[in-house]
Amino acid sequence: MATFLGTVFQDVRYALRQLRRTPGFAATAVVTLALGIGANAAIFSLLDQALLRSLPVREPRQLVLLEGTGKAWSGRTSGHGGEREMLFSVPMYRDLYEKNTVLQGIVATSTGAVGIERHGETAVQDAEIVSGNYFSLLGVRPALGRVLTAADDTDNAAPVGVLSYDYWHDRLGSDPAVLDETLRISGKPVTIVGVAAPEFRSAVWGQTPALFVPLAHAALVDPSQADSEHNHRDRWLNLVGRLRDGVSPAAAEAGMTPLWHALRADELAAMGSKPGGFTADFLTNSRLHLLEGATGLSYSRQRLEKPLLIVMCMAGLMLLLAAVNVAGLLLVRSAVRAREFCVRYALGATAGRIVRQVLLEGFLLGFAGAVLGVALAPMVVRVLSSRLTDPGDPLLFLPTVDGRMLAVSFALAMVVSLGFSVVPAIQLRKPDLVSTLKQQGSTSAGRGLNLRSVAVSLQVALSVLLLVCAGLLVRSLQNLRHVDVGFNTEQLLTLHIDPELAGYPADRIAPLQRDVLAALSGIPGVRSVAATDSAEIAGSDSGTNVTVEGYTAPPEEDLDIGRIGVSPLYFATLQEPLVAGRAFTENDTLDHPPVAIVNQSFARHYFGSATAALGKRMARGAGNKLRWMEIVGVVRDARHIGLRDDVKMTDFTPLAQEKKAADVTLYLRTAEEPQTVFRDVTATMHRVAPMLALQHMMTMGDQVDRTLADERTIGLLAAAFGVLATGLAGIGLYGVLAYNTAQRTREIGIRMALGSSRAAVSRLVLAEVLLLAGAGVLAGLPCALLLARMLRSQLYGVSATDPVTLASVAMLMLAVALVSALLPARRAAHVDPNQALRSE
Amino acid sequence: MAERTENLIHIESLTKVFYTDEIETHALSGVHLSIARGEYVAMSGPSGCGKSTLLSILGLLDTPTDGKYTLNNKAVANLNFADRSRIRNQEIGFIFQSFNLIGDLSVYENVELPLTYRSGMAASERKDRVVKALERVNMAHRLRHYPAQLSGGQQQRVAVARALAGSPSILLADEPTGNLDSKNGEAVMRLLNELHAEGSTICMVTHDPRFAAHADRQVHLFDGKIVAEGELQHLLAAAEEEYRTGYSAAR
Repeated sequence: MATFLGTVFQDVRYALRQLRRTPGFAATAVVTLALGIGANAAIFSLLDQALLRSLPVREPRQLVLLEGTGKAWSGRTSGHGGEREMLFSVPMYRDLYEKNTVLQGIVATSTGAVGIERHGETAVQDAEIVSGNYFSLLGVRPALGRVLTAADDTDNAAPVGVLSYDYWHDRLGSDPAVLDETLRISGKPVTIVGVAAPEFRSAVWGQTPALFVPLAHAALVDPSQADSEHNHRDRWLNLVGRLRDGVSPAAAEAGMTPLWHALRADELAAMGSKPGGFTADFLTNSRLHLLEGATGLSYSRQRLEKPLLIVMCMAGLMLLLAAVNVAGLLLVRSAVRAREFCVRYALGATAGRIVRQVLLEGFLLGFAGAVLGVALAPMVVRVLSSRLTDPGDPLLFLPTVDGRMLAVSFALAMVVSLGFSVVPAIQLRKPDLVSTLKQQGSTSAGRGLNLRSVAVSLQVALSVLLLVCAGLLVRSLQNLRHVDVGFNTEQLLTLHIDPELAGYPADRIAPLQRDVLAALSGIPGVRSVAATDSAEIAGSDSGTNVTVEGYTAPPEEDLDIGRIGVSPLYFATLQEPLVAGRAFTENDTLDHPPVAIVNQSFARHYFGSATAALGKRMARGAGNKLRWMEIVGVVRDARHIGLRDDVKMTDFTPLAQEKKAADVTLYLRTAEEPQTVFRDVTATMHRVAPMLALQHMMTMGDQVDRTLADERTIGLLAAAFGVLATGLAGIGLYGVLAYNTAQRTREIGIRMALGSSRAAVSRLVLAEVLLLAGAGVLAGLPCALLLARMLRSQLYGVSATDPVTLASVAMLMLAVALVSALLPARRAAHVDPNQALRSE
Repeated sequence: MAERTENLIHIESLTKVFYTDEIETHALSGVHLSIARGEYVAMSGPSGCGKSTLLSILGLLDTPTDGKYTLNNKAVANLNFADRSRIRNQEIGFIFQSFNLIGDLSVYENVELPLTYRSGMAASERKDRVVKALERVNMAHRLRHYPAQLSGGQQQRVAVARALAGSPSILLADEPTGNLDSKNGEAVMRLLNELHAEGSTICMVTHDPRFAAHADRQVHLFDGKIVAEGELQHLLAAAEEEYRTGYSAAR
């Protein structure tokens, strides 16, 4: 054993020396591998954090997410992006919590924004509304003070809160004095009783709340939840349960079913009489599912899953390309070292020893590549995370190196090292000893030549795959950037205000909004100002069903109509033209008849044309007690939710006729670039409402750009992979051509001695490169077409078989191939036949 | 000189045919040869006569197409690659015309290399053997040097030390002076003579009659066959005459 280890150590030492003596080769191979491994480590880290990693809580595998299917009681659902079937009302949560005998416990959670005022400054932050047992059931300890308890989650309890560690550390400088300090949260006093553990952010992955408040004080975060304790209609809580030891989710689900049906029956009874079909859907067809919840809830996981998997695939291809590139380098190197290995064989080395030597050298390269790659990965994660995180928020993905990243990186390095070393190793298993040992030079050609050509063509093929993906994604991004949203996004400033978060009482909000609009209108350079309760191109989607007078909906029609409250001058400010009727005026208030403006799609669907819609009446919801609104105008169709979303049938109503419109988004049409009025806007807002925090102040262009953060990040990564892949393929082509040309020096000398021109010799090299690259392109394009099908959901305005992209990629690769051949071709053309023929 | 009592090498009816696409080349045709333990044999003949092919087969670098080959009383003609490697390592020491030292290894490591392929040999024993072998060729003072830092003659002495370090049954030398000037060539030949005097069995391929004369016995090859010296002169003369006649006829 000692002898064996001794020889292994000797081989390692020799391999290290080999790498030291060829620093160019070693550096190229290590950097190439580091790029591949680093990219994979970084993307894996994102994927792991978003999709795979368990919450940092006690026994995360015992956690289950509650999902209730079946017809829902019509009412408000949370706007934070969770799936509707995973939302529950407060009474339903309280019942499940108190009557459940199957689970260890159930916690409730929801999110919202709060204004946190400390030392006279207010900042808008995310907050998490949690049940009193939240921390104890999850097993999260305090870093300072204490966590929330069941006693805090009662109506009579004094309002208390627990800060998140990130907020306490980043924003309050880990100030211990905050403990027992009373902060004003959305204008109301709340005593801070503790700071949560540093590793814990939230039970909802992707959320980074600054503050946890008890469910009983939910109104601090959302004043509309003041009566939520008895409101069965509004479903806005996510529920997370903990299984008892040894109980499976399926068994617990079966155990919970009788309770669920009993609670649903109670709710049905509370609703009063309902049609038979509704009863069946509400009761009989309703199920309570317990889904595995070790990774926690997430509102953004679904959005990120597909893009992350696509990028992971691309990173995998990149690593494969890097491995093939290094394999190509090693094949050249093993050809150069063929004689050395033959001497070793002649001295009695077995094939196993030679293979071990080659594999060890490969593993050392892989190890060095992994070390460098892991060092690079956190930087990549930080860059990507900052692009995927809203400005000002803590990073969505933590740029840290953990055991899982290390394990994956080094496992990949080992697999890849084995992959790229095994081909040269196999090639060296049975060499031609006699002829190699007789050669005077130190190099030999042989069958490695074909393998090198295959390797380089494979690199071209993989580059084609990555370039096609990059091309399609970048074209999609360009198409999205040029989408006509239906209004003018140039010279438009947007900002968000929420007077409730600053503690303004309900009766002061409408006057404040009027004051703000008036004051902003007076800023020099501002042409007009308007407000809405549903921001444009920001993912906001508030919908309702409507009743249109004189229109009988077919039985299967269940249209979700967008609803948006807007101020006067809204359409003028956005330059969203009216196609019929009038805009809202200052007179459209609660004291005047309710009015509405609809978009063209709405008018066409219900009335056939825009003009036909004018004067007709519509109401939100259905039933007998309807509040009819007269349609006074029709506005041109415009996208509202996002750039990818189709235009939805929408009705607009005056903000002044809405019952609640506390938080609004303001739009300012400016004469020059919007940045020129930023300072005046800030100053004006501070004068009019000093406590009001300005949220998300940016140009509309930036807002549109922000909605493309995912697409831009994926496009950027894809483009980076494409560029790297092309570079590697170019280097690979150059390496093989340079080597082949050097090997053919004598042949070229003979050709020239026989009268071949320099141009003819150059053509020889160019023909070789076109053959290698052409084979790669031909092999890569069909595979790229298959791969592009995976991308379909991410594409916009471009087909997965886009001929322009495919042709461009093919042309680019051939151009790169020709460029990589220039130097070898020049060298070949300048071979001195006299010298070449004399040399061995 | 050691007393020769038994055959170390015995080959019988050995043939080697190289096949290309359409041509069969008979490099060796029915060669019979025995080399006794402690004997010093020189093989010579014109270019292409098959002497290097024969040496490669004797060194187990190549396999015969047909015939018997016994090395140290073991039949080795049809061994697989791994067994041939093992026997090469234990029984044979090579000295090549172009030295074939590994440039990335020091003198010490080059000499140690065959011993590292021998399973079970302790590091201390390896060191002992390497130092002794280098001392034997007067190169112990250069053990940390690399081949590129040595002259051709020194490199060949290191190659001899490498061949000696494993205490092989036979040293096979393929034109050991071919890449050396006359002074260094003579020095290497003196070294081989000394080794032979100490009991080593040596088989050397050379085309230089001066060096062949150092051997106990000379074996002459012509067109893949072993011929007597007188016969060789006759065959060479006949070949020359044939060439001259053909040339005149062509004119």
